[in-house]
Amino acid sequence: MAAGSLFLTQFNWSAFINALVLGLSIASIWLIAALGLTIIYGAAGVINMAHGELIMLGAYSTYTLQTSFGIPFLLCIPLSFLIVGAIGLLLERVLIRYLYKRPLDTMLATFGVSLVLIQGTRIIFGSSPKYVDVPEFLSGSLEIGFVNIATVRILIFVVTVAVCVALWFLFFRSRFGIQVRAVTQEKEMAASFGVNSGRVYMMTFALGAGLAGLAGAILCAMATVLPTMGGNYLVPSFLVVVVGGGALAGSVAAGVGTGELQSIFAYFTNDTFARFVLFILIVVFLRLRPQGLFAPSAKRR
Amino acid sequence: MLLSMDRVTSYYGKTAILKDFSFGVQEGKCLCVLGRNGVGKTTLMRTIMGLTDRSVGDITIMGKGIGASPTHVRAKLGVGYVPQGRGILSEFTVRENILLGTFARADRRPEIPEVCLRLFPYLKENLDRRAGLLSGGQKQQLAIARALAVDPKILLLDEPTEGIQPNIVHEIGETLKMLNRELGITLLLTEQHIRVARRLGDEFLMVDNGRVVAGGPMAELTDAVINRHLTI
Repeated sequence: MAAGSLFLTQFNWSAFINALVLGLSIASIWLIAALGLTIIYGAAGVINMAHGELIMLGAYSTYTLQTSFGIPFLLCIPLSFLIVGAIGLLLERVLIRYLYKRPLDTMLATFGVSLVLIQGTRIIFGSSPKYVDVPEFLSGSLEIGFVNIATVRILIFVVTVAVCVALWFLFFRSRFGIQVRAVTQEKEMAASFGVNSGRVYMMTFALGAGLAGLAGAILCAMATVLPTMGGNYLVPSFLVVVVGGGALAGSVAAGVGTGELQSIFAYFTNDTFARFVLFILIVVFLRLRPQGLFAPSAKRR
Repeated sequence: MLLSMDRVTSYYGKTAILKDFSFGVQEGKCLCVLGRNGVGKTTLMRTIMGLTDRSVGDITIMGKGIGASPTHVRAKLGVGYVPQGRGILSEFTVRENILLGTFARADRRPEIPEVCLRLFPYLKENLDRRAGLLSGGQKQQLAIARALAVDPKILLLDEPTEGIQPNIVHEIGETLKMLNRELGITLLLTEQHIRVARRLGDEFLMVDNGRVVAGGPMAELTDAVINRHLTI
């Protein structure tokens, strides 16, 4: 923005409202990237450093489905959810399940997994950037009054809201949800009433991985597909989860809050400076409230 | 025997808390486990549920060996557990706490059994209240209701009257008696109130230092036995 001067001097209402709408879009991007991480961290206490790479796998699975099988983009989104969910299931069975009681080791192990996934992808697909074709209506933009927004951003927003609502129903209105929340609160009591915590953790991890895959599938509509793309999403995802406190509602609030602040600061200054201010604010916030916005008061394993 | 233990030793870490422990309880009976604090009564309950670090020896429910089964499998054999401190999930509503019990039902019917609400009218009127807000006595009612939602053959009750106002102690004693005599649910309970134990129990088991030191029909629980193993 405003080349030469750091701060914009003239305030413009329509541009500001555009910035707010863009903030909502940034929020939905960060939130959809963070949802899988939230669920895995919130329910199983696993800090999944390979989360960004699961997003990357979602993008590559969409790319492969599209180029090798000719499947239309919108159909690739649920399919990527299933594919990366299955990869997550496998990962949980062969590695993560042995590490639930050792949080530090999980971080190291999942970091190792992320390196393996990056290099593996590089071997299979090469390190050149890939592009996913999106349908015509997603490459344009929509004008409502003086608000101008790319249609792909609207799609991401709609999908994010839909996924949040679906997750809310899953966690608060289904039998599986009661099981997950019971295991999170009191593992021994859950087991004493027939809940198989191993199976709950497994399903939760697979669901979280699947959500990462879904995020990757939808985000590659506006990003270049690269083996290292996961790193771009890991930091905002962790921000959202940590500020939110690990609960679903917390992540939604944190996603909207940080996305909007980023966009508002960017309106007054520029993207880089906005991120700098945002990070400082988050550090201060976490100093005052380390448990995050909506910390579940349940005990951590 | 509905539930029996044969020479069971149960450990936390490397320390044996229950040693060479054998007993059995017949279907429809009520067995009271007595003993001072810290002699292993709670560990006995946790051993049956598979919540100690390790145990050796045979534990059987209805003739089925469960010594090697994980906790969630044992629960599904019809064991309703009311732990010490009640183990209520405070973030859950009353309804969700009772529904948790239904996961261990053989038929997996996801609804609150009618008997839970009939016995505890307070719970019926407060199904959507957060369980963390209940009083001690109400939490104990909820813990019993949750264990009943399992549709249990046997209830394991760890100090059901602990920390409860005296007037409600009697009420809970009456409820347990009804469950035992009218619904035919076998009870295994640890109890500090000798009077409650005498009124409820068909048999007793005296535990000291992790071992069975006396046992038999409640009539044989003489003052001499009480003096030797219960008075401090």
